[in-house]
Amino acid sequence: MIAALLALLALTLVKATPLIYAALGGVLSERSGVVNIGLEGGLVAGAFTAVVVAAATGNPVLGACAGVIAGALLAAILAFAATRFGVDQIVAGTGLNFVALGGAAYGLVVIFHQPGASREVTSLGATGSAILIALAFVLAALEWVFLFRTPWGLRVRACGENPRAAETAGVDALTTRFWAVVTGGAIAAIGGVYLSLGELDLYSDGMTAGRGYIALAAVIFGRWNPIGATGAALFFGFFAALQYTLQRSGVPSELMQALPYLAALVALGGFAGRVRAPASDGVPYVR
Amino acid sequence: MKRGLRDVALAIAIVVVIGGLAMIVAGANPIDGFGQLLDGALGNPSEIAETLVQTTALLFPALGIAFAFRAGLFNIGAEGQLILGGMAAGVVGVMVPLPAVLAVPLTLAAGAFAGGLWGGIAGFFRARFGANEVIATLMLNVVALLLATYLIGGPLKEAGATASETASLPAAAQLPGIFPDSRLTLAFPIAIVLALVLRWIFRRTVFGYELRAAGEAPEAARRAGVNLARTAFVAMATSGAIAGLGGATIVMGMLHRFNTGLSPGYGFIGIAVALVGNLDPLGICIASFAFGILQSGAIAMQAMANVPRDVVSIVEGLVIVALAGRRVVAARRNA
Amino acid sequence: MRGGEIHALVGENGAGKSTLSAIAYGSVTPDAGTIAASGPVGLVHQHFQLIERLTVWENVLLHREPRRGPFVDRGRARTMVRELAARHGLFINPDAVVETLPVGIKQRVELLRELAREPQILLLDEPTAALAPGEIEAFFATVRRLADGGSAILVVTHKLAEVTAYSQRVTVMRAGAVVAQYETAHTDAGEIARAMVGGELPALAARAATEPRPRLVIRDLSAGHGNGTLSKVSLSVAAGEIVGIAGIEGNGQSALADALAGVLPYDGTIELDGTPLPSALGPAARIERGVRIIPQDRRHEALVLDWNVRDNAMLGRQQHAPLRRGAIIDRSVAERYAREVIERFDVRPPNPNAIVDGLSGGNQQKIVVGRALAGEPKLVIAYQPTRGIDIGAATLVQSRLIEARNAGAAVLLISFELDEIFAVADRVIVFFGGHVAGAFTRTELDRGRIGALMAGDA
Repeated sequence: MIAALLALLALTLVKATPLIYAALGGVLSERSGVVNIGLEGGLVAGAFTAVVVAAATGNPVLGACAGVIAGALLAAILAFAATRFGVDQIVAGTGLNFVALGGAAYGLVVIFHQPGASREVTSLGATGSAILIALAFVLAALEWVFLFRTPWGLRVRACGENPRAAETAGVDALTTRFWAVVTGGAIAAIGGVYLSLGELDLYSDGMTAGRGYIALAAVIFGRWNPIGATGAALFFGFFAALQYTLQRSGVPSELMQALPYLAALVALGGFAGRVRAPASDGVPYVR
Repeated sequence: MKRGLRDVALAIAIVVVIGGLAMIVAGANPIDGFGQLLDGALGNPSEIAETLVQTTALLFPALGIAFAFRAGLFNIGAEGQLILGGMAAGVVGVMVPLPAVLAVPLTLAAGAFAGGLWGGIAGFFRARFGANEVIATLMLNVVALLLATYLIGGPLKEAGATASETASLPAAAQLPGIFPDSRLTLAFPIAIVLALVLRWIFRRTVFGYELRAAGEAPEAARRAGVNLARTAFVAMATSGAIAGLGGATIVMGMLHRFNTGLSPGYGFIGIAVALVGNLDPLGICIASFAFGILQSGAIAMQAMANVPRDVVSIVEGLVIVALAGRRVVAARRNA
Repeated sequence: MRGGEIHALVGENGAGKSTLSAIAYGSVTPDAGTIAASGPVGLVHQHFQLIERLTVWENVLLHREPRRGPFVDRGRARTMVRELAARHGLFINPDAVVETLPVGIKQRVELLRELAREPQILLLDEPTAALAPGEIEAFFATVRRLADGGSAILVVTHKLAEVTAYSQRVTVMRAGAVVAQYETAHTDAGEIARAMVGGELPALAARAATEPRPRLVIRDLSAGHGNGTLSKVSLSVAAGEIVGIAGIEGNGQSALADALAGVLPYDGTIELDGTPLPSALGPAARIERGVRIIPQDRRHEALVLDWNVRDNAMLGRQQHAPLRRGAIIDRSVAERYAREVIERFDVRPPNPNAIVDGLSGGNQQKIVVGRALAGEPKLVIAYQPTRGIDIGAATLVQSRLIEARNAGAAVLLISFELDEIFAVADRVIVFFGGHVAGAFTRTELDRGRIGALMAGDA
């Protein structure tokens, strides 16, 4: 009994970790005022690039670094479009996800010469995975301190609330937003690295399975607070773990698979009206 | 108008440049690649017919997405609504034997109803709780596929032949073809008529006027008597119904059965189509044709020029990013 | 500008005053010409540039936060803000969240933020817009203290009374150019006003004799929440009468306007010609019954900027005949409505297809007012109807309101400009803290008394 519970807890951590990374990336970005729907794409970019570089070099750590850089670069596209041109962030983020998913599928054929999945590579192993899981929580705490106790975090929050007012105080709102989004993309990509090199040892089409979207719900559920979002991610991860554990019971598997998404939906409905996003979240700022 | 043309030029530039680059990286000759693409799409009459089939499949979700956009809402859930619409049509078509003159409208209506219901859920969440419809529809997309798989494999098994598809639709429930030796059916003219109807609604009706006001200036609309919550709900439900209708036409016209893999992402590509078409029904018709060429030509391109068809996804994604400035979707704040 | 001097910059809306101060501040680059400043420049904006959800100290010290290592030294931040405020004779709580503060205190925060930079040159853009007449004196005392310390102060304003009372020199702008400069002691308000307009001021329409009959009766109206709540207010407006609501922004005027418009739920009764208007009655139904609103913020609350004049002219009337014919909109009626508004209100350019976003503020406002006054309305609620528009358009709007009154409409004018109310109203009601603080007829108008009531002094 205890063993089963512990196993469930461990599985929850495993399932929640990519969500935590993506949610932390989302919090940072949205606190600066940019909604990043492209978190899913960030996970894909991280997962895929990590595998490619791990395959090429045989070194999973290099792969992980490459994955993070890829996430940052992908987010930079959105950051650039949002700050330089003031585009609709949600629409642009959606496009980014297609680019990432299509790019990964394209890459599978062009690099690995087989559609659907890459070959197996050297993974980070049990130690590496455990480090990544612990790092997620450390990063959550660091992000909280950054946002609420440092001057740069204050400026990020100012840009998310009222970029025009922040600029009159001397803050460069566009540059601040740019870097917040790029850093957020890099953080999210770590989650992708965990998926492909931590939990498994390859990349397969569709492995991210909408986790980036659940992370968005976790951001809202967690009230745009790194600690809250981590808690929300654990909550959703628990449902994913539950589904896996209950697979052998009589409940239809599709219903169980839908649990995390339904939980996110219910959370959205229950909480959405009552929480307030940063005032300029999602609103393009044009000088 | 000028802005519209500039954006179309940008879209074409992306297709040519990025597509060409991706082809080179894949080891193919871009001229060869584009050539195969165009030839595969427009080379002979039956290929043109197939391009129109793809056009139709894109036109329905694109019109639905544009409808929501005009009301200030972003319906990312067209894919899920399309799937459930197709499933409803497949089940009803197989299980309700009627003469064609009744079966066709009934089956189409079933598809529209299912899609409308699914869109309506997101609309309800938006209207009642002020919940972000983007995240809601993203969640519902995933749930839709799972639901369809579950229903076909389980409670609705009588309609099914295997775990992931229904039996063949009886001839009475199939859409009549309009071009020999092709999959082009009545669905195509139905889609065009729908586009014209939507255009009329936007321009001439009170409902369309209020919908556009809600999308472009929600506070002014509210003070002019527009019920924003109800408009949001109706817009999402209608958007879903149009996408569901599209799923029904795929089942009744293209495949003659429901299959959980019926859509290679029409509901998502529809977003790009809606944007390139400037959210205007006539512009969307033209944009659907352009993307239809990409869809139907991509298969030939992959087979003959060895270019992975995912190039098309990459290009479509970049088009969306580039054209995201086209309409800043208003009414994003929680209602 | 000279150190130790308060220099007033005046001009109509659209004359270029705000642009000039933005250039002086450095946020706008000039196309030609030079600017030289001997020290730091501070700018207090007309519309507060505050971050509502952050605290006072976070707003004041943003971008110059005191640090301890990589962290913000919050204790020192609080002390710094307290000391800064005390030095200038102001009082403020550094930990208060800005959105909870009343408008007058928010302005103090805005001022402190600029003062934290120790500016040698301070630009104040319409600084007394949110202050009660009594508070204005204290404000200028603070400004005088700063000038005596050697700073050069520029006050951008359109309130000539303040110019003559407090400034040493005045510069007049018109249509983007400086047209006159005076030593304040050697000129008067009349000369300044004529320089602003470039001639004689346009005349206001004449007020006809009317026989007021009861039309709008409000009893114990309560609406809204938080700052700006309306509490059990009773008042009435007669047909053929203009009632002016005087008061500082944020004292319940918006709740009153929104309740009457049908966009804010309320308790209490509102009766139009004896018939109650239930709280649930929506805006379109009220428009149909003859209640017309000129909202405070035309860009967000009244117009769809991307639409043309015609589509905007019919906004609000689309749910009922004759504009609505079954499910569709009758185009000939829409055209007629557009023509009426354009002609009667001299909208320029006189083109129904012109996109509203391209029109000047004055012309945009003419559409909003024209739409509200079309078709002989019974009750007109005009909320800041001449905000941000040039004198010509403002006088036209005020004249049309008087003409509506002459024709038998009941007009409720809510304005933050006492001069406007004095020029136009038959009766004046003062709002403070969501209550009626006093009522005056036209013959009893006493600026000092009204100013005191506006500030909350009994």
